[in-house]
Amino acid sequence: MQELTFEKINTTVLDTLSRPGKRYWTVIALLFCGVVLGAACWAYQIFEGVGVAGMNTPVHWGTYLINFVFWVGIAHSGTLISAILFLMRAGWRNPIARAAETMTVFAVCIAGLFPFIHLGRVWLVFYMLPVPNQRTLWPNFQSPLIFDVVAISTYLTVSSLFWYTGLVPDFAIIRDRSVGVRKKIFRVLSLGWSGKSGQWLHYTRGYLLFAGLATPLVISVHSVVSWDFALGVTPGWHTTIFAPYFVAGAIHSGLAMVLTLCIPLRKIFGYERIITVHVLESIAKTIVFTGLIVGFAYGTEVFIAWYSQNIIEMESFRWRAFGAYAPEYWIMVICNSVIPLLFLFRKFRTKIVWLFVISVFVNIGMWFERFVIIVGSVAHDFLPNAWGHYRPTLVEGGIMLGAFCLFFFLFLLFVKHLPSVSMTEMKEHIQHTE
Amino acid sequence: MDRRTFLKTASLSSIAFAWGCGTDSDRKIFSRVTASDDSVTGEALWYAATCMECPAGCGIIAKNREGRVVKLEGNPRHPVNRGKLCIRGQAALQGVYDPDRLTAPLLKTNGTFKEISFTKALEILKQKAQTPSERGRDRIRMLTGLTGKPLSDMFTETLAGFGSDRAAVFEPFSYDSLKAAHQAVFKKRMLPSFHMENADFLLNFGADFLETWLSPVEYAGKFKSMHAVREGGKGLYIHAGPFMSLTAANADKFLPVRAGTEYIAAWGILHRLLDNKSYNHLPESFARDLKTAASGYTPSFVEENTGLSQSAQEMLTEKLLAARNPLVLGSASTTPDDTAFLLDTAAALINWILDENLSLYDFENRHAVENTMSTGETAQFFRKAGTDPLDLFLIYNSNPLYSIAYIDPVERLFQNDAVFKVCFSSFMDETARNSDLVFPVRLPLETWDLYESKTGISSILQPAMGKLTHAPAIGDVFLELQGEDSRFDSYRDYLLEHLYAGAGIKSQKDLLGAIQRGGVFEQDGIEAKKTEQVKPVFDKKLSAVLKKAAKACKPRESKGIRFLAVPSLRHFDGRGANKSWLSEIPDPVTSIAWESVLMVHPATLEEYGFEPGDLLEIDAGGRAIRAPVYDYPGVVQDLIVMQTGLGHTDYGRYAREFGENPLTLLKAGAGKGEFTSYLISPDRVRKTGKAGKQPGTDGSRSQHNRKIALSMKGDRAQDHAHAEKPGLDMERFPLTLPYEAGYDEKRDVYPPHEHDGYRWGMIVDLDRCVGCSACAAACYAENNLAVVGKEQIIKGREMAWLRIERYRDRNFDERLIFLPMMCQHCENAPCESVCPVYAPHHSKEGLNNQIYNRCIGTRFCAQNCPYKVRRFNWFEGEWPKPLNLQLNPDVTARTKGVMEKCSFCIQRIKQAHNRAKNENRQIRDGEISPACVQTCPTGALVFGNFLDPKSAVSRLARSSRAYQVLGYLNTKPAVIYLKKVVHDV
Amino acid sequence: MNTHATTITALFKSEEDTLAAIREIREHGWQVTEVRSPVPAERIAEALGRGKSRVGWFTFAGGVIGFFSGFSLAAFTATRWDLIVSGKPVLSWIPFFIIAFEFTILFAVFGNVLGLLTQLGLPEKDYETNYHEECSGDMYGIEAVADQSEAERLKEVVGRTGTVKRADRMDE
Repeated sequence: MQELTFEKINTTVLDTLSRPGKRYWTVIALLFCGVVLGAACWAYQIFEGVGVAGMNTPVHWGTYLINFVFWVGIAHSGTLISAILFLMRAGWRNPIARAAETMTVFAVCIAGLFPFIHLGRVWLVFYMLPVPNQRTLWPNFQSPLIFDVVAISTYLTVSSLFWYTGLVPDFAIIRDRSVGVRKKIFRVLSLGWSGKSGQWLHYTRGYLLFAGLATPLVISVHSVVSWDFALGVTPGWHTTIFAPYFVAGAIHSGLAMVLTLCIPLRKIFGYERIITVHVLESIAKTIVFTGLIVGFAYGTEVFIAWYSQNIIEMESFRWRAFGAYAPEYWIMVICNSVIPLLFLFRKFRTKIVWLFVISVFVNIGMWFERFVIIVGSVAHDFLPNAWGHYRPTLVEGGIMLGAFCLFFFLFLLFVKHLPSVSMTEMKEHIQHTE
Repeated sequence: MDRRTFLKTASLSSIAFAWGCGTDSDRKIFSRVTASDDSVTGEALWYAATCMECPAGCGIIAKNREGRVVKLEGNPRHPVNRGKLCIRGQAALQGVYDPDRLTAPLLKTNGTFKEISFTKALEILKQKAQTPSERGRDRIRMLTGLTGKPLSDMFTETLAGFGSDRAAVFEPFSYDSLKAAHQAVFKKRMLPSFHMENADFLLNFGADFLETWLSPVEYAGKFKSMHAVREGGKGLYIHAGPFMSLTAANADKFLPVRAGTEYIAAWGILHRLLDNKSYNHLPESFARDLKTAASGYTPSFVEENTGLSQSAQEMLTEKLLAARNPLVLGSASTTPDDTAFLLDTAAALINWILDENLSLYDFENRHAVENTMSTGETAQFFRKAGTDPLDLFLIYNSNPLYSIAYIDPVERLFQNDAVFKVCFSSFMDETARNSDLVFPVRLPLETWDLYESKTGISSILQPAMGKLTHAPAIGDVFLELQGEDSRFDSYRDYLLEHLYAGAGIKSQKDLLGAIQRGGVFEQDGIEAKKTEQVKPVFDKKLSAVLKKAAKACKPRESKGIRFLAVPSLRHFDGRGANKSWLSEIPDPVTSIAWESVLMVHPATLEEYGFEPGDLLEIDAGGRAIRAPVYDYPGVVQDLIVMQTGLGHTDYGRYAREFGENPLTLLKAGAGKGEFTSYLISPDRVRKTGKAGKQPGTDGSRSQHNRKIALSMKGDRAQDHAHAEKPGLDMERFPLTLPYEAGYDEKRDVYPPHEHDGYRWGMIVDLDRCVGCSACAAACYAENNLAVVGKEQIIKGREMAWLRIERYRDRNFDERLIFLPMMCQHCENAPCESVCPVYAPHHSKEGLNNQIYNRCIGTRFCAQNCPYKVRRFNWFEGEWPKPLNLQLNPDVTARTKGVMEKCSFCIQRIKQAHNRAKNENRQIRDGEISPACVQTCPTGALVFGNFLDPKSAVSRLARSSRAYQVLGYLNTKPAVIYLKKVVHDV
Repeated sequence: MNTHATTITALFKSEEDTLAAIREIREHGWQVTEVRSPVPAERIAEALGRGKSRVGWFTFAGGVIGFFSGFSLAAFTATRWDLIVSGKPVLSWIPFFIIAFEFTILFAVFGNVLGLLTQLGLPEKDYETNYHEECSGDMYGIEAVADQSEAERLKEVVGRTGTVKRADRMDE
């Protein structure tokens, strides 16, 4: 990236903030319709009762919590890239850090929606918050769900603050290169950043600490999510490997989502020289790694089930692979552990099309992983008499569609109005590489 | 009941007027602002009455809260059911509040019904009755269900007044063959009751005494006192028949016998008995004739024709001879065909030759249903009604258009416009629909009446609540018909006189006592007139029967697939089909609700290329039914079995269009004989190509070798062996009591927590549980459980707090075992810690409380419950008016989005607490009985306090049979199960 | 600086030039009061003799507060009703520790942000004095002060490597 200069970076990125065209707004409008549809489905469910979804006894948890875990997972790689790789000084993270962080913030917002949608009496959700009340009724801090409330809200706060902190110098850049209203707005947003050497001193220190805090946080958050299940007695849930297994899975899906987002971004905005093939390749390599971890986890689960010689455990894993949800199970295994192995071959790592296609497969696979874990376990647990089946309904489909629309809606708004690549970090990057 | 009951009952009419049908009381918990003088707001009044859901006539006590009945329980002092009730008895309550109940008479004018006033209806009735009586004799005919003597007398008098004959009494299940057999053997058409409790070996050729047969609650109790484990083991019960009914499923051995050939099996046994041994108490000539009659039924012949192997016959004979008090029972409520008569005769004869004084027969206490017409008589009655001149036809408490097998003469009668048909029915059932005047009358729970459950037992009916409609009592209607010349101004007076005259009531005091007790029973010293010692008499008739038997000893052609209709535990003959609980609670054998399935042996399915779930069409005699197939190994091959009671074309929202009515097919076999043949060879059985998911509530029939419903072989030895080497795996995990005593530092991470005086728990004795599901119905009634309906059950959303799980016995794959599963109130309940808002938590008395107001519906508790006993309100529960009046005011009705589950009837525990507190004492053992425990006909459930070492539960928990379902999870369930003990036959 | 001082701002292409300029200015005894750069530049900071950042202390304080408030919240609320769930003690350390952990992170981040704002002196209203927009582009901006008499020489010195943007008038 020799020919890349500070000014070049500024111009390339700032060009993306040019006035969007008709096509953009039509897409935005379509996505918005999707969001409205999802909202309508939810309203209908609140009015009628959760029964409009497909859940039943024994499967009391359905797509809502599947999507919850899925989106939290997506969120994670954002922090991984912006924080963990930052601490590891992995240069290739800089071009994608901003996009990844943004993805994190939006994904967490959407993940946070699903527990609400899931609740039987969402209008009483505040019972879960430790709000002082006259009868001194408090939430139960022993419940994994309260861990969730605390962890997810912490995660949302931290990642958005982290995101904003990173944006401040870039805001200054935009401020200096714009006029009129826009200048006013960005003057406020940039808090009057002027890049004094003192500012940079504290800024870098603060940013480092941010990264240092986000790293344990991101690991704890998905561990907590995994404990929603691991702290249960249900066979298929009640296992100690869940925390690392879920974290790995989260990063797996998150990196895939980063690819899915960055490849079109790169194409449309002509980021070829910023988000280089080398960057994408590095992501692909990491996906192979996480994919192997996830695959190992699948193996471990089955092995432990057999090794325990507990007939209930054994039955529940036999059923996963060969029972009613066998298709879902094999989709999960193939998409998450087999297909990513293609990245071992340079051809697949470097060909943009392959990168994109495979990343989409991983996303699908990870969604089904959550399906298999959440639905597959309780549908076939302790009492054979209570065994049952679950199939999502249209309402659930509508809400899920709405969630995806909301995500891309927000992301599209972001890329056209805020710098989707961190100019400052890019400059630092080339500064160091020179 | 307290001593002021008589005043209470007397003041009932005033209650009735205080709030009639018009109040909007259902909006509030309390019906009236000011309680009537005898009722204390918040306090229940109990009225003794009698259940009229089947002819058995069990005693009930009706719980009245603020003027309306909210719960029925068995009358503990009633000799028939001794405080217990069956599923139908529990559901009887819903009849009163049936949303489809008619509130006004309906007059059919050119094809359509119009509401008219009761006075108008009465006028029409009078005038319609007057004219024919002027025309001539017997121009009025009446058909009634089985009623008490006073009422039938009333009918007879009134009809006589119009120059017509007495009312014909019709019951769909009339036990003709049994009556005829007793006629032949004992010279009396009677239905003596059996001292089953004294038998040590029971051989049954079909009698479904746990479902409908004669008096199910009574026999369930008697059966268990004979068959439950006690010192010296338990009695032996072997069932030989074509279909493993609930009754058969409780046998130690089920021997498949080709449908319609049970009589051959029975005579085969008789044959062997006579060969084995000579019985000197038999009259010489009789013995000879009997031998010749039975001679044809050789073991090989029996084996060929019935499929009952010779070794099995051998075994049965030996058991019979070895037994001290053997008892042989004959045909079921639904008889295959005329041969049932031979079967029941054989049964009676075997009983006699094995026990010359027939000590197990009780000829003093005979079942009321013996006083009904036989099928032949019924047929005759309708034929005559079709041919003889007739103007007015009255129907009371009977639905012939639905429940009579051979339909033709009946249909013809109802098509005949010349006859004015009046149906005294509170529901628009099939018969009412085809009548000209539908005249609603009060239901049994709202009327004064008398019913002779058995000879020597007159049970009293009294209004247990104010009336919901303006409908008069049937007795009063007929009193009106009698006109001014009647001496009585109400049927109640008529009844009282009858009581004073007949039933041995001497004084006001007696009367009060009788009303409080629920009737006049023998043990009250009022001796029923002893019938002369009944003995079998060998005469021409009997020898004729023997000849008949000899003649019947020929191969039964059984070509192709056959169809057998069997009585339904839940719907009996269909009279209760609109009571939603009965359809919502699944059939214990198939675990299927809201549907009448065709039970077929898997091998037969394969043979005919049917799949479970296929919708089949069965044609017979030009009529067809369509029903789904259910694969059930408990049916002999080449036989389709279907339960009666469903498939109404009318009647109400919960009955219409659910399932099919097998009786419609039975035309084919009927008419030709004295007895209905519920067994036919259909003209055609074909796939419709449609198939669907059944509203079944079970996930799997197998236990997958898990520690769920355990049984142990007769000798206890290996059970102790089991107990000896405890381990931590599923099978060997020791019993861990749900309180401090259950703490073991090797297994428990957390220290035990104290309880405050009580630790409530339950014992479920699988050896006593017969799976009759009465407990489930009681739970629906007591705890305001919502009925979700067929579609939701298919989705798996039934709300039952207590369900009967039906599994295959791990020791004997072909046997069924039933396991009542309700919240286990675990000491370390997994559901509790996962709730973010403390909705479920542990009470100081060890209860696992669920706080509905706090619940926000995360449903984690249900996910984490190993027993899957928590139920979620997916939608708002619906109680169409006036069903909402039945809701128990002591229990909140839950809203949508809330989790609920068994609470051990905490409302009853609280009441006991208050009582104990007022009397300043501890709660006594057995003082609290949750609804399920209270009603269990076999006493399989016991509730109590584990902290009291002398309490029943503590005692039973020490049994060597005690174990906990999935106990190895160490959640320390407070429901402790006792293994079923099975004979290895 | 004395009353006859002149402030000069100049822009430099690279970090090296800037450092060189700083060194030279220093040699002449003039002061470099501020350097504005598009990217962090440790060496410049050193050159200007900036000490270590104290943001970390805010973060640490936040973390400590977070841990204890988190744990005591859980413990306090649990003891309000003493409800027993799943037979676990009312004060269950392990689950409460998780709560405490999350609170630690949350409050540490709050501390961190607070630290940043205070240390950076943001938000700053009049950031524009002596600020040149190139500084957010690819230029390093030096802000040097010299005695009025030497203003011209200072210009010349910085002019050699950088571009002199402005020498403000003598302050009265």
